[in-house]
Amino acid sequence: MAHEQFYKEISDAIVNLDKEKAIELANRAVNENMNLLEVIESGYGDGIRRIGDLWEEGEFFLPELMLGGTIMQESMNVLLPKLKSSGKNISLGTVVIATIEGDIHSIGKTIVGTMLSANGFEVYDLGADVPAEHIIEIAIEKNADVIGVSALLTTTMFGQKKIIDILEEKGIRNKFKVIIGGAPVTKSWTEECHADGFASSAVEAVKLVKDLLNK
Amino acid sequence: MVFQNWLKDKSKIILFDGGMGSEIFKRGIKPGKLPDTLNIEKPELIYEIHKAYYDAGADMCQSNTFGASLLNLQIYKVENQIKEINERALENIKRACPSGRLLVGDIGPSGEFRPPVGKATSDKWVSSFTKQAQILESGVDLWHIETISDIEEMSAAIEAIKNISKKPIISSMTYKKTKRGFFTIMGDSVEKCVRIQEDADVDVIGANCTLGSEDMVNLVKELVTLTDRPLSAKPNAGQPRVDVNKNIHYDQPIEDFAKDIREIIQLGAKIVGGCCGTSPDTIHEIRKIIDSR
Repeated sequence: MAHEQFYKEISDAIVNLDKEKAIELANRAVNENMNLLEVIESGYGDGIRRIGDLWEEGEFFLPELMLGGTIMQESMNVLLPKLKSSGKNISLGTVVIATIEGDIHSIGKTIVGTMLSANGFEVYDLGADVPAEHIIEIAIEKNADVIGVSALLTTTMFGQKKIIDILEEKGIRNKFKVIIGGAPVTKSWTEECHADGFASSAVEAVKLVKDLLNK
Repeated sequence: MVFQNWLKDKSKIILFDGGMGSEIFKRGIKPGKLPDTLNIEKPELIYEIHKAYYDAGADMCQSNTFGASLLNLQIYKVENQIKEINERALENIKRACPSGRLLVGDIGPSGEFRPPVGKATSDKWVSSFTKQAQILESGVDLWHIETISDIEEMSAAIEAIKNISKKPIISSMTYKKTKRGFFTIMGDSVEKCVRIQEDADVDVIGANCTLGSEDMVNLVKELVTLTDRPLSAKPNAGQPRVDVNKNIHYDQPIEDFAKDIREIIQLGAKIVGGCCGTSPDTIHEIRKIIDSR
């Protein structure tokens, strides 16, 4: 019960866009040796999901979405080093993730990246509006297992296919699992662009990556 | 002066043009390319689209300069071509513009948001729009600042134009429909936008893009209660659909769009036209409605 209260406090701090509070609670969770995976999922993850709901309701707009994402990310910067150093989270694999060129929507991608980190993957989040060529360059450099590409616009989702086309051209398609996500992405689009999978939530994305890598 | 006279003429409904991007895609150019560079690379194609809109009966058409502000060209790394892109755009539309019709200088969003979304500032916006407007000023009859989703960016664009030009300004925001009504994606209400546009003393207040014609009817209903200024409406032809060959389609029948435009005129809009997915055929259909009034 005490934990639930604590998670709610975190979730509220995210929804209230209260950065100081969110980071203070992250530090407290670290100092009190709490179960950080649970803190992330039930606290921060819950808050960011509520922000998404408020966007749906027309209560929140782009500035609130972006601010919420930034606060989440900064809180993760407090939690993740501790989570990694705890030893129980030896990297399950490396993921390079980005929102494709021409698309500035970063929230969903950031949540997926964060949840993957929280679950033990080494994540390189390249941000939003990233050219396909650059994503591939970093994936090669970091010897990534998975490339995750987000697109929120029908006009930018072609960029997801471009990634796969380039990998095929270079003859390195089978070196990476490519997963795609974003509001317009469907199963049929996933099949059409020969991606390895798609997920419609961060939780699903974690499961998908684990399945793809047989972890 | 022609435009001001049109505004004063109570019986006149001004017909604007329709979508540029969707017409470009129809002619085989794939999405992803900055349409403004086609002013240089494919001047005939741009000229043909303008001409088709004038031929369809548009009273005025706008230059293919939606993305040709300094900031947006920087995003595409072609900012060194700002002069040539805007000048060629003027040449292409001038050639198509029959006498007695007007040529509108099109100013679109900078592509840069203010914090926390991006890093733009008002000063940055003003200097970016000023640079573009200075090049276009000599060739245009009036201005259309359009598809702006942040009223602060709109204010900056108006300031930039007023600094260098005395020509009329149509100030057109883009709104999305939420469960709580119409707002810009940055969270500006219609009321707030109208107040700021009135304070900035623009000649026409408008809305374009994002909304299909049906939603635009409802937005115009709201706009007429908020301002006495002339109104402009350029809705999309419904919502886009992407097919397996990466082509974007707007499936709304022209008759449905035209029916909504008829209602928008009845509600009191002074300027009507179309945005994404509308074509010279759409404009021709609206011409018939206006002429039969």
